[in-house]
Amino acid sequence: MMALLEISDLHVTVDGKEILKGLDLAVEAGKVHAIMGPNGSGKSTLSYVLAGRDGYEVTQGAVTFDGQDLLSMSADERAREGVFLAFQYPVEIPGVTGMTFLKTAVNAVRKHRGEPELDAMDFLKYVRVLAADLGVSDDMLKRAVNTGFSGGEKKRMEILQMATLAPRLAVLDETDSGLDVDALKVVAGGVNAMRSPDRGMLVITHYQRLLDYIVPDHVHILAQGRIVRTGDKDLALAVEENGYAEFLDAAA
Amino acid sequence: MPDGTTAMSPLLDLARAAAAAELSPDWLVALRREAAEGFASAGLPGRRDEYWRYTNLNALAQRDYAMAGAGSAPDVATLVDASLDGFDGYRIIFVNGRYQPDLSVRGGLPDGVRLAGLAGLLAQEPETLKPWLGRIADLGGMPLAALNTAFLGDGMVLLVDKGVVLDKPVLLVSVGAPDERAVTYQPRNLVVLGDGAAASLVEAHIGAGSDVGYFANIVTEIALGESARLDHCKLQDEAASAHHLALVEARLARGAVYDGFVLQTGAAIGRHETRATLDGTDIECSLAGVYLAREGQVLDNTTLVDHLAPAGRSRQVFKGVLDGQSRGVFQGKILVRREAQQTDGHQLSRALLLSPRAEIDTRPELEIYADDVKCSHGATAGDLDETAMFYLLSRGIDRETARRLLVGAFVADALGGIGAPATAEFFSTRVRAWLDAHIGALPDTGDDVP
Repeated sequence: MMALLEISDLHVTVDGKEILKGLDLAVEAGKVHAIMGPNGSGKSTLSYVLAGRDGYEVTQGAVTFDGQDLLSMSADERAREGVFLAFQYPVEIPGVTGMTFLKTAVNAVRKHRGEPELDAMDFLKYVRVLAADLGVSDDMLKRAVNTGFSGGEKKRMEILQMATLAPRLAVLDETDSGLDVDALKVVAGGVNAMRSPDRGMLVITHYQRLLDYIVPDHVHILAQGRIVRTGDKDLALAVEENGYAEFLDAAA
Repeated sequence: MPDGTTAMSPLLDLARAAAAAELSPDWLVALRREAAEGFASAGLPGRRDEYWRYTNLNALAQRDYAMAGAGSAPDVATLVDASLDGFDGYRIIFVNGRYQPDLSVRGGLPDGVRLAGLAGLLAQEPETLKPWLGRIADLGGMPLAALNTAFLGDGMVLLVDKGVVLDKPVLLVSVGAPDERAVTYQPRNLVVLGDGAAASLVEAHIGAGSDVGYFANIVTEIALGESARLDHCKLQDEAASAHHLALVEARLARGAVYDGFVLQTGAAIGRHETRATLDGTDIECSLAGVYLAREGQVLDNTTLVDHLAPAGRSRQVFKGVLDGQSRGVFQGKILVRREAQQTDGHQLSRALLLSPRAEIDTRPELEIYADDVKCSHGATAGDLDETAMFYLLSRGIDRETARRLLVGAFVADALGGIGAPATAEFFSTRVRAWLDAHIGALPDTGDDVP
């Protein structure tokens, strides 16, 4: 059976420079895959190319999501189909409140799924329950999206978006960056609460620390644009112990 | 010879005819005649005039305007009601620059407040007006102000005595209602607040009747006493072929607060110029504006904030959205005189160009003679932020809706400075309507965003 996400021989060029050089990966529903790699290995490129950002040119290879050609879809279509990217650096949008942003997004996705759109009252009820678990206050939702938020607040807001949109594939790009250990626990708790048999997750991180809290089923090492090693969570511990040097040598 | 002088005869003829009228008192006649001759020698401002470089008035010079009569708006009362949409306040209504007592609602004004048509007050008690008219600021070197003064005769007068706080906003609605030919009207408004007085003035300039073009040339003189406060908001939503040129001259005394806001959406050429003179210490002056332009429109916002005395604070935030082949103009100047130490003056102009044919001409100016001041200006022009766009798309929001949200967000902070909720609602509703009509409708979010 085909995996939820199948990436084969993916080559991606950014500004004329090849960043991903033949990446193969499959993420099954119900599984959490972690991708670890040093700076410059192509981790963020992978997350953006899956989300459909402009400027990331696929020169070779294929990506399917639930059997569909993901690369032929626009960024917003991918999101409505159930692909979610939690940003490493969530974007501040002054002038758009968190509530407006979330409600517009949730209703776009619901409409696509053929579900009735939520009115203001029902949406508020829906989002409040999820927000409470992540310590996101009403005040945060009334403020402009991410504007003036601390690093921890931004990441909690990302996970709240993920929870409200209930994607089938969640890609988390360096979700641990900029978080202290308490914030990390809250965020990881939010992610773990969303683990389910019909949802796949791709957790991208530089450090093993995050994987103490979001324990992956599989760990892949990304170096110089390719997956160079695949293992279980012990592989992450080995990286923590020995660094990335041996993988860089292997990829060279 | 200034540009346009040769071709300006229709307007000049009108001005001279107006100024020749036998009126009383004598000082008014002298004021008008002197102004007509001032306009005759200056002519309409042309491209060589440094504050008119970007806004071309050739169309005015060549057009054979008539003085506006009563106009032929089908039902002004209905139009005014629709425009104000339940906005509660004292109403003072003008059609083609003429005061309409029957449509105005002035009942219940507190003691110490005069709200009246200028023509009536000039007839009854000219001495009340003499110290103010044409004397609040030096209008020399301002040809359009001179043109306006040549016709000086009607407009709005708001006088608030010392210490009196107006409980509701004054709502001035000006309806341009031309007949079969193009007309001009030249109202003069006067606002004088005594020491410690406070008022809110909201203007709405709208068009009605046949759209054959009209030219509204408006001068508003404002004098604020010590610690007086005026919130002054204006909607410029004139008929599509109209010319709307407005000058606000505000002189502020120690501790006064002037909070100005303008939303321009209408007219073929719309210009709102504010010249504020901070003539005392600890004055606060805020000028904000939003302009939303479509095909063929030129919308101009020009400011001068003149800091004469120490410890003044001025803020300017202007945001423009330019679509189609439209043009925005922002000329903003902060002048800090040598005595005006500890001045805190900031200015921001940002324009969003939604079409490759749209253009913005920005001219920020800081002229500083004091050495202990904090002043800044910033100007940007460009397209929507691609990073923000991608963020919205990545949440499943389609591109059109994302664009609509981001354009609304772009103008939001310039609207955010309007303090009174009913006034803020009036203007954000107008902005929202424009954005829904021209950028795209937003799904109901149940939230009060532009």
